[in-house]
Amino acid sequence: MGPQRGVPMDKQMLELLARRARLDKALAEFPEDVAAAAAQAESAVARMKAPTDPRAEPWPPMRVGSGL
Amino acid sequence: MSELHWLSAVEAAQAITARKLSPVELTAALLARIERLDPKLHAFIRLDAEAAMATAKAAEAEIAAGRPRGPLHGVPVGIKDIIDVAGLPTTCHSKVLIDRVAAADAVCVSRLRGAGAIVLGKLSTHEFAIGGPSFDLPWPPARNPWNPDHHPGGSSSGSGAGIAAGLFPLALGSDTGGSVRNPASACGIVGLKPTYGLVSRRGVFPLSFTLDHVGPLTRTVADNALLLDTIAGHDSLDPGSAAATAADYAGALEGGVRGLRIGFIRHFHETDLPADPEVAAGLENVARELRGLGAEIRNVSLPSLGEFGAVNRIILQSEAWAIHGPWLRERPGDYGQLSRRRLMAGAFISGSDYVQAQRRRLEMIAAVEAALREVDVLMCASAMDPASRIEDAAETERTYPRQARTPFNVTGHPALAMMAGLSAKGLPLSVQFVGRYFAEATVFQVARAWERAAGTDRKRPPIG
Repeated sequence: MGPQRGVPMDKQMLELLARRARLDKALAEFPEDVAAAAAQAESAVARMKAPTDPRAEPWPPMRVGSGL
Repeated sequence: MSELHWLSAVEAAQAITARKLSPVELTAALLARIERLDPKLHAFIRLDAEAAMATAKAAEAEIAAGRPRGPLHGVPVGIKDIIDVAGLPTTCHSKVLIDRVAAADAVCVSRLRGAGAIVLGKLSTHEFAIGGPSFDLPWPPARNPWNPDHHPGGSSSGSGAGIAAGLFPLALGSDTGGSVRNPASACGIVGLKPTYGLVSRRGVFPLSFTLDHVGPLTRTVADNALLLDTIAGHDSLDPGSAAATAADYAGALEGGVRGLRIGFIRHFHETDLPADPEVAAGLENVARELRGLGAEIRNVSLPSLGEFGAVNRIILQSEAWAIHGPWLRERPGDYGQLSRRRLMAGAFISGSDYVQAQRRRLEMIAAVEAALREVDVLMCASAMDPASRIEDAAETERTYPRQARTPFNVTGHPALAMMAGLSAKGLPLSVQFVGRYFAEATVFQVARAWERAAGTDRKRPPIG
C-alpha cells in the first residue's frame, strides 16, 4: 500500500510504509535516502491524472498473447 | 588511410570488404586511441583488448579466404555494461553485481557477432541504468568528449562518450526513460530508441519490463540504420518481442523530406519545460531547414511532459522495485546514493497507482497515435539544456529531468535524438524525431535529410 493520494506523508507514515516494505536496514543506515525515495513516489503519483473512464484498459494489454 | 578512428561503420565495412583496410589495423588503431583518451573519458568499464585483437585476426583470415560473415565483418563495437557478453562480467556499473559473469551473449550481441562485429568491451552506465553521474560507485562516471568537465548524458554514458570521441563507430545502449537519446543529445551523435519489442531484450539486465528498449548509438544516421538492421527482429523467448518483421532500414535513407508532414510539438519546450534559448533556437532552425527541403511543418499538441513523466516514473519505479527490492532490503549500502534513492521509490507506490499509470498510458498512446494519423513524423526537443558540469550535482539534478524523451518510452514509438547544432560554449544541442510504430525507416529518412543539410556527421569534439 502506498501513500494516499493528496495526503502528505509525515515521518510516522513514512517509517510505517518503509517497514512494511521491509526497508528497516535502509531506514537505519540511510534515512534521508528513504525519505527522498518516498518524496519522489509521492510527487509522481500526485502529478498523474488517473483515467476517468472506468472502462479504460491498461497497456500492455491484459490478454493472452502469442508467447503463452 | 588516415584517421581510422573517424571512419563510419559503413565506410569501414566497405573498406574491409574491398580489402583496402584490415580489421586488425582498424582494431589496433582504436585500441591505441582508447589507451590514450579513455583515462580521461572513462567510457570503458572493461576493455577486452586481447579478445578483440584475436577476433580481428580471425576476421582478417576469413575475409582473405573469401568467407565474409556479414555487413559488420571486422567492425568494432562497444557494449553497455548491462548487456551480457559471454565470459565477461555484467556489472551494471554496480558493486551489487561486481562478480556476475555472463554465461552467454545477449541476443543483440549474438546478432552482432553473427554479422561479424568485433566486441571491444563493456561500457560505463549509470548504476543499473538509472540515476545520473555518480562518484560513489566502483568505477568513475564517463565524461563528455566535447568538454570532459561536463557529463555525457546517460544512462548509456560510455556508449555516448566513446562514439563521440572516436573510440568505436558503433555501440549498444538501453533506453527506459531516455537513456540512449540522452547521451546522443549530450554528445552530439545519433541515438535511436526503436519501437518497443523490435529489438530483443533477452540477456539485458532489466530496469523496467514494459519500458526497456535496446538501441543503437552511432556518429551517423546510416550507421544507426545499419546497426538496427543487424539487431532487430523477433525473439520468441523474449515475452515483449514484437511479431513484426524487421524492415530494411538502411535502404531508404536518401529519400528526403519533400512532401512529408512533420508535426512539431512546440509546447514541450516552450511551455511544459521552457528550454534554454539556444536549444529553442536550434529546434526552430531544424524546422526551418526541413521546411526549406520541402517538408510541411505543422504544430501538434500532446499531453504535457509533466504527465508523461509521472506515468513513466510510476511504472519504471514500480517495476524496478520488483527487481531490486530484495537487494535493497539486504544490502542498501552496496548501491550508490542516486540509484538507491530512485530504486527505493517503488516501495512507496501502490499496486493501484501502478495499474492507473498503465491505464493512463493507453490514453497517452491513443493521443500520439491520433497525432501520427495527421502527420508522418513528429519532431520535438530531446534535452532542454546543454550538458551541465559533471561535478555540479545540483545543476545536473535540475537539468537531467528537463527532457522530452520519456513520452516515447511510455508509448513505445520509435524516437531518434541527434545533434541540432552547438551552443556558444561548444556543447551539443539536440533534436528528436518520432515515428509511427515500426516506421524507423521514415525516422531515419528525416534524420538523414537534416544530417546532410547541417553536416552534423562531420562535427568532431576538440579532443584530438
